[in-house]
Amino acid sequence: MLLTSVIIVLREVLEAALLVSILSALSGIMGISRHWLMWAFACGFAGAVCYGLGINTISDLFDGTGQELSSAAMQFLIYCLLILFAFQAAGSVYGRETSGTFTAAIMAAIIALAITREGFEVLVYLSGFMNEWQQFLPVLTGALIGAGLGISTGALIYYLFSNLPSRYALPAGLCLLSLVAAGMLSQGALLLIQADWLPAQLPLWDTSPWLAEQSLSGILLYALIGYEATPTAIQATCYFGGLLLLLMVVLYARRRSRPLHKTPD
Amino acid sequence: MRILMRAALIVLLWLAGIRGVLADKPVFKLEIRNHLFFPEVLVVPANTRIKLLVRNHDPSPEEFESYELNREKVIMGKRNAVIFIGPLLPGEYPFFGEFHPETALGTVIAE
Repeated sequence: MLLTSVIIVLREVLEAALLVSILSALSGIMGISRHWLMWAFACGFAGAVCYGLGINTISDLFDGTGQELSSAAMQFLIYCLLILFAFQAAGSVYGRETSGTFTAAIMAAIIALAITREGFEVLVYLSGFMNEWQQFLPVLTGALIGAGLGISTGALIYYLFSNLPSRYALPAGLCLLSLVAAGMLSQGALLLIQADWLPAQLPLWDTSPWLAEQSLSGILLYALIGYEATPTAIQATCYFGGLLLLLMVVLYARRRSRPLHKTPD
Repeated sequence: MRILMRAALIVLLWLAGIRGVLADKPVFKLEIRNHLFFPEVLVVPANTRIKLLVRNHDPSPEEFESYELNREKVIMGKRNAVIFIGPLLPGEYPFFGEFHPETALGTVIAE
């Protein structure tokens, strides 16, 4: 019971913690105050509670595939927001005037959506044991351990990025964010396949004998780079296409901003 | 902007078309009682898209999860859920209830 609970909560918290740590580290590097985090957490927790309360209605929408569709919509939205963020961040570092408030709002929206998605599952899981007191205690203990592990991993990544020279921290952060974003897009596609909105295909390959998704490294890689052992062609296209698009946006933002750097003195 | 709108419309129609053409899929039923799956073994045709109807008779929520089928879905207490799986190559595909993985275990066999 305890171990199950640790793993469930760790898996959910890890994804959100990763985004929180990278974005808040980059926020510091860009000189944007971290006040937005408070709003992000507040909206995220409120979102998770609302999503959890409305899940019965949401699930029944679209012939019983409302859960997949709403979750996919959130994934796609996070991806779009990450593109916007990458554009802003790459621009600000390479000299273009960017609005810090706008960038902060984008970051807050990303985190709020991520917490809504991941927090909802934790809340639903915990709610199942509310009436079974004997089990609730180990479940809650496990959940706290899982959350602690996830948050510590996030803190580790945060300090790792914060201590890098800012010249490297931003490109490194954007690269990691690109991988996370690509993973979100591919997960969103998988949800659409599950809802039968996208055609189903056989997996392109199966890497589970080498690295199982349920192993600890599999869980970590899933959160970090969206690792999937048996992706279909649609998912792989979304992943690599999404990655390419984001990197192109970064390069474009950089090129657009460069001339400002080189003004003759 | 107009081109974007048109492209979005075409994609939506395409999706709607796919849904229409592939609407009839064999339906298989699965039930959850006392954190157990019934039937434990579900035999389905291989290479076919299948509509899985899951009824959770327990008051507590469960999450249908399978790494082999690549599926994950929360099913609230006393509720139904629809999960599309396949097409599957012949073989065994274990699934479990993530919230009660000690007892809620099952296998899809595609043949």
